[in-house]
Amino acid sequence: MRFLKDSGSLCLLEVMFGSIWGCFYASFLRYWLKWFIRQVTGRCELQRICADCKSGAPRTTKAEYSLKNSKSSVLRAAVDVEEDHLDQCLDVIIREKHIKSQKDPTFRSNLKVCLLQITGYTNLFASTEALRKENFDSERDEHEEMLLKLWDLLMPDTKLESRVTKQWGDIGFQGDDPKTDFRGMGMLGLTNLVFFSEHYTQEARQVLSHANHPKLGYSYAIVGINLTEMAYSLMKGGALKPHFYNTVSGRPQLLHFHQLYCYLAYHFDKFWVEEKPASIMEFNHYREKFHDKIKIQLLDPAVSLILTEESKKQPTK
Amino acid sequence: MGLLTILKKMKHKEREMRLLMLGLDNAGKTTILKKFNGEDVSTISPTLGFNIKTLEHKGFKLNIWDVGGQKSLRSYWRNYFESTDGLVWVVDSADRLRLEDCRQELSSLLLEERLSSATLLVFANKQDLPGSLSKEAIREALALDQIKSHHWSIISCSALTGENLLSGVDWLLDDIAARVFTAD
Repeated sequence: MRFLKDSGSLCLLEVMFGSIWGCFYASFLRYWLKWFIRQVTGRCELQRICADCKSGAPRTTKAEYSLKNSKSSVLRAAVDVEEDHLDQCLDVIIREKHIKSQKDPTFRSNLKVCLLQITGYTNLFASTEALRKENFDSERDEHEEMLLKLWDLLMPDTKLESRVTKQWGDIGFQGDDPKTDFRGMGMLGLTNLVFFSEHYTQEARQVLSHANHPKLGYSYAIVGINLTEMAYSLMKGGALKPHFYNTVSGRPQLLHFHQLYCYLAYHFDKFWVEEKPASIMEFNHYREKFHDKIKIQLLDPAVSLILTEESKKQPTK
Repeated sequence: MGLLTILKKMKHKEREMRLLMLGLDNAGKTTILKKFNGEDVSTISPTLGFNIKTLEHKGFKLNIWDVGGQKSLRSYWRNYFESTDGLVWVVDSADRLRLEDCRQELSSLLLEERLSSATLLVFANKQDLPGSLSKEAIREALALDQIKSHHWSIISCSALTGENLLSGVDWLLDDIAARVFTAD
């Protein structure tokens, strides 16, 4: 008992020491160290990151941390700079950090890519949020057209008998009219579904055929909308940063978000088929399991969640 | 372990309640659950399978089961009937076209043996929508006055704003507590 008590307080001490050390490091030591290394190497932290780290997530993630924790307000503001002011912002950083462009000719272009990626992520989230908030509206022709397009892409040989029909169940909507199924995901959900069917038609039809399996089946469209929610929440929490930093060497666009959705839609199906759940009632359990798997993948600095011939073959477990 | 601790534990266990929330798809079951639990309700997607939340309210431990309402899932509802203390039937008050469907599903639930001792709370949800029916109209459409087998009540609410959710659940708990825990 005594021993347990002692090791308990030891743990507490360790935690305390750890947090004191963390504070000390962040507020003093980091700056001293940076100053010291700068004197020795003649390069500031940003220069070292841009020169020594591999482009993509390894470089941009470090640059983002360095900028956000900088003492200089100019550097801290750089992560929110608008595209029109980007070049101006780079000039200011170069001046502020006394960087000689002749000595480090790649610095400017490397940092520019980092800034495009960092600010691009914030802008991409704003775009997905705007599309999510746009409710599906039967009065709007473009919304209706998209819905009918989804049917035609997935069911090329079957004609939709009417706009409100039980047939919608064949592609996994809940009732006779899909309009109520988009809910909190709005047009982002429908756009994701259409994008997958349009750009990966074979894959989408293959996934649909699995979804219509009599035993292992699931509601294709509803699962799709749930995966949009997964992609959206990963995006919102910043978890997708390394993926976009690695796969888009500039500003990510909505198209890149849709591509990520396609990766999730294809791989969730594969996961589901391999796991063989007892029934659709297990959906939330397997969704969480898949979610955890994706979150682990996103911890890898080299992560790239793009649906390619190679990534299709990846084992799911 | 002394006798008193055992008694206390039993009593504690007794203060658990199991609530089952059912209704047609798009009635707002998950939104009610999340709103009641203080979570964000703006990013909900349709429920496949079920959600379960355990929360403390008025000294009771509530296990709330929210099961998906789409037609293909309704045959699974029966898997969740066992030891249900309260049934929450959620109605989309603006969905006039499916009220008959809604009435039929509810009346077949009330015939279920394993739900025979459950208190019924009907939530006339989506009162925030223009054109939603009043709770009196829902009461009539669902023929609630004909229910003699269960204690029941209908409460109009809005899961989106949270209006009346608390008073509905409070009524349900009081009714269950009066039936189940009167021995205390």
